[in-house]
Formats: sequence, structure tokens, C-alpha cells
Amino acid sequence: MKKDNLKQFYKEFPSNPDARVKALKSILEKEGLIDQKALDEILDTYQNKVGPLNGAKIVAKAWVNKKFKEYLINNTDKVLKDMDLNGRQGEHVVVVENTEIVHNLIVCTLCSCYPWPLLGLPPSWYKSDAYRSRAVREPRAVLSDFNVKLPISKKVKVWDSTSEIRYLVLPQQPPSSKGLSENELVSWVTRDSMIGTGFPKPPIGE
Amino acid sequence: MSKAHDMGGRLDSRRIDITASDVKFKADWEKEVFAITLALGFSSLWNLDRSRYARESLEPKDYLQFGYFEKWLAGLINLLGENGIIKDGTESEDNYKKRSFRVLEAKNVKKLLHMGGPTKRDSTTEKNFNLGETVSVRANNSNTKVEKGHTRLPDYVKGRTGKVIAYHGSHVFPDANAHFLGESPEALYSIEFKSQDLWGKCEHVEDTVVVDLWESYLEKFN
Repeated sequence: MKKDNLKQFYKEFPSNPDARVKALKSILEKEGLIDQKALDEILDTYQNKVGPLNGAKIVAKAWVNKKFKEYLINNTDKVLKDMDLNGRQGEHVVVVENTEIVHNLIVCTLCSCYPWPLLGLPPSWYKSDAYRSRAVREPRAVLSDFNVKLPISKKVKVWDSTSEIRYLVLPQQPPSSKGLSENELVSWVTRDSMIGTGFPKPPIGE
Repeated sequence: MSKAHDMGGRLDSRRIDITASDVKFKADWEKEVFAITLALGFSSLWNLDRSRYARESLEPKDYLQFGYFEKWLAGLINLLGENGIIKDGTESEDNYKKRSFRVLEAKNVKKLLHMGGPTKRDSTTEKNFNLGETVSVRANNSNTKVEKGHTRLPDYVKGRTGKVIAYHGSHVFPDANAHFLGESPEALYSIEFKSQDLWGKCEHVEDTVVVDLWESYLEKFN
């Protein structure tokens, strides 16, 4: 059997993370291995450009257009590509639909895999040990921490993102939002409703 | 015993803290770690599976104490270390530049992030299981080629029985790729397990857990 001796080089660095990253960065700069402009561009992308609005657009479209919904579920990667919503950590996406019978919940127990191009970077709780440990064993107790209570008639289906498939929950459209336009509906779709830890709700102020 | 990162089903009585959940970065150093990690991910010196392995291989007590981006940072330093870019004082000068380190340029960021790193491969590999079939998961979830190596087979499903609900084609096999043993694509399936079968006592008999598992993690159900 092979061995893999990955050494713990990090221990040679300052333990304070701020000092640690500064020490690392100065080495990388000295060696010419990073381009500050590229770093800025990466941050700008995930701080300002990519976020749950992308996923919300897909959900709203699926709510108003049944044909699109079917097509989306069966040809997800093609649809995302056509809508320019594919990318890193969203190379292969599966959309799971909530119904009267099933409520879907997404987790990554091994790290914190999350559909970045559709939802942006994960919220802190998604990365927490508590969420990663508990979501698969006691999803209903986890949901109650989000003040989400499901009827006993619904089955909970938890999706553990162990591969490079990323999951997006297609929440049920709230009855009170029926008749609204696709554009209006976008603001009803919350990030948590696309992870399964919440429901869509009227935008604040309405 | 499962490794520190393999958390699924571990007993944990902590509430999920949903406050400040929209804060992307708690401090500037987290931004730095995030951007540097992504940028160096394009250096071609390692792959995503290797970087996951590097994070998982931190000392268990550090893995459990470190915040998310602290794990990223320590993992990244270890990757740079094994490539000779960071020296631990015991090694001779290693000319890593010869190994074609690609520096990410600003003009390529958009294109590369958009492209990502698809893991689906066209190659047709062995596919022994069909939709709807009941399958068993290997009883041992250790990497079969590398001692204490990387795997994406969570401890909580080993030896369990579930049903194939999706087939995703052939995907790069992390257990090999994380150790530079080639991509070795394998058929990838989604397997649905009854919560009752996983935990014995469960919240609701209808509840299930779906886990994506590769061909060699699975066995015929007898």
C-alpha cells in the first residue's frame, strides 16, 4: 500500500491567522506567484457579482413556466450554460424539487460543498460542524433551529454533496404569490429556500 | 474511527447559529486566504481533491479548532510546502519553477472561474448497478490504494444498504486523483438510504439521505 507523507508545514508559520497569511503572502509575492489584480478580481466576483440572486432567477422562471421547469430538471447543466450561470463549484448541478410530499435539504458533511455560481459563497452556518454533523441524522431538529416546521405528511430527503454534483432546491411557490410576474417572484426566493432550510417569502416591505 | 472532517451523523448537541449568516468574510485575512487559495488552485501543481486532502490531513485538533478559512490557509501552506515553494529547513533548494507554475493573471480570472473544473469524463467505465437497484456500500471506507488516503465515502454509510436513484456518468475518482494516481474515472451514482437504516432511531420513518457514491464504493446486494 502506498504512503502519502503530506507534512505539516503550517506549523512553522505564525499561529495567528492574520500574521500567518501575511507571512505566506510575502513569500508568494517575492517569488512572483501571485498577481494582486487577479486576487482583487476573484474577490470582486464573489463579493459583488455572484450570489443567491442567480438561483432565484432560475426558481422564479421555473415557477411561472412549467415547460422550462421540466427542461431545467432534465437538462440542468445545459440550461445553466445557456443562462451563463455555470462555473466553478457549479460544473454539474442537479435541481431537486420540493413537493407536497417531499422536502429537500442540502448539506456537505465532508467539507462544505455548495453551488457557488447559483448561491454565492455559503453562509457561516452551512460550514459549521453542527450543521455538517446534524443535518443527515436529525434534519427536522436542524430545521427547527431555522424556525422551519414541516407537516408530518412530508418526507425529508437530505442530499449529502459528496461528489462534484451540486444541488439546488427548487422550493414550492407560496400560494399567496400566485399571479405575480417572474420578475416580482425573484425577490420572494430566499437563499435558505434554495438550500432547504427556509421557505420563499414576500420581500421586506410588502 | 472516522477522521475529524467526516462529520456526518456525529452526535452534536449544538444549535445551528444562524446569526450573521450573510457575512461572507469575518476579517480581511479571510478574504486574502480565499483569493490566494483560488488563484493558486490554477497553478496546475495540484488539484481540488488534493487540496481537500490537504485540509483533511491537518492535525485533528487543529481541524476541529480552526475556522473554515484557517483550514484553507493551513492546507494551502502544506500544498506549497510539498511543492518546494515553502521550505521547512530540511530540504534542499527545489526548483519548483521548472514544474511550470502557472501564475493566474487578472485577464484570465473571469474565463477560468466560469470554466471551473468539470469532473465528468466521456470515457465509459464499468457500470454494474442500475436505477432502482438495491446496493450495499463497502464495509470499509478507507482508501484502498493509499494508507490513510483521501476518500469521499462517508463513515456513516459504510456497510449500509440503499437504492440507486441516479446515475451521473463517469467522474474523476477522488481517492486516486488526490494522490496523483490519475483521474481514474468511475461511474457515479446517487444512492438513497432510509434514515432508519442509517441511525436506527430516526425522526420520521419516511425520511431519507442521498449520498453520491462511486462504483468501487458499492457492492452487489445479497
